[in-house]
Amino acid sequence: MKTNEQLIDLQAYVDGELSDEKRRRVEAALPADIDARELVEGLRRLSGLLRDHEPKAAVPWSREFYWSQIRRRIDADAAGSQATSAPAHAASTASASSALGWLRWLIPALGVATVAVVVSTRSTGPAHREFAVAAGGDDITMADVSSTVFRSESDGVTVHWIQ
Amino acid sequence: MPLSVKHDYPSAADETLVQWAQRGDTEAFEELVHRHRDKIYARALMMMRNDDQALEFSQEAWVKAWQRLVQFQGDSSFATWVTRIVINLCLDQLRRQKRVRTESIEAMDEESGGVERHLPVPESNPTAGLEQDELRRRIDEALGKLTDAHRTVVVLHEFEGLEYKEIAKRVGISIGTVMSRLFYARRRLAFLLQSLKRERSE
Repeated sequence: MKTNEQLIDLQAYVDGELSDEKRRRVEAALPADIDARELVEGLRRLSGLLRDHEPKAAVPWSREFYWSQIRRRIDADAAGSQATSAPAHAASTASASSALGWLRWLIPALGVATVAVVVSTRSTGPAHREFAVAAGGDDITMADVSSTVFRSESDGVTVHWIQ
Repeated sequence: MPLSVKHDYPSAADETLVQWAQRGDTEAFEELVHRHRDKIYARALMMMRNDDQALEFSQEAWVKAWQRLVQFQGDSSFATWVTRIVINLCLDQLRRQKRVRTESIEAMDEESGGVERHLPVPESNPTAGLEQDELRRRIDEALGKLTDAHRTVVVLHEFEGLEYKEIAKRVGISIGTVMSRLFYARRRLAFLLQSLKRERSE
């Protein structure tokens, strides 16, 4: 009775997968071991039998139909690859639009900030009036000189300057 | 005006068809599909034992072959290259199936060889006297009675001619497991073929 290891070594011998040392050992033992010889012979015949009689099968569809199915998949995959790049383009466009959206709000805000800074750093008088007119807004100077209001129609803002 | 060249696809060698297909010639590729479709389908069917899956994976293999055609360098034959693609698809599916049924008896038995452990060693000529077609059919039936794990190593070793090391790498198991699965699978096959022979003589 052989151990599993011995049986599997004999199989590896048949398959040509043993190291040189193990192969020599098996070959030395085979002449005196009938069981081993029978197993080796049986494994060789079984392998030969399988390789010589590999089961065959045929595609159950016509040449045209089988190819049409494959062609459809190839075309669908190609279309899919293009579609995956389209959303990426859409995403970048959306991102750009989003940035433009911010700019839409940022530009007037910057305009307001600029006006506010200018207004805050200048005193009332002719220069102030010039700037307000140049900016396209209405400059209203209160007679009591305690309050100045700047309104820009284009920016849609009103600035109150109180002194 | 340049003349368009119509290739003689049916007469062209595989290597030539591959070159044309690599340049985008789908007619050349269709000819390759036609020549080798049965072999690719048969391999998928042998591994999966299911007509629908065999058709599905064989078609998928052709689609992948087309997509990766530029990678084919001719180190093996074109048919061998596509066969390896379909085998990989089948192995992926078998792994997924195995994950679903890890608690099955088959999964527990496959390393030890299960009942095959107690079977006799293969006798010298278990199928003497059978006709060739009948023998093919009987072998197919016997393969169908193996577990997926055992059948896979038999297919890769006996029909694809892969060495233990290559089988281990492809299936994701140790060489020792390849050897034990192959041994028990062969014992089981020998037993099944002997049983068929006995049925026939009765």
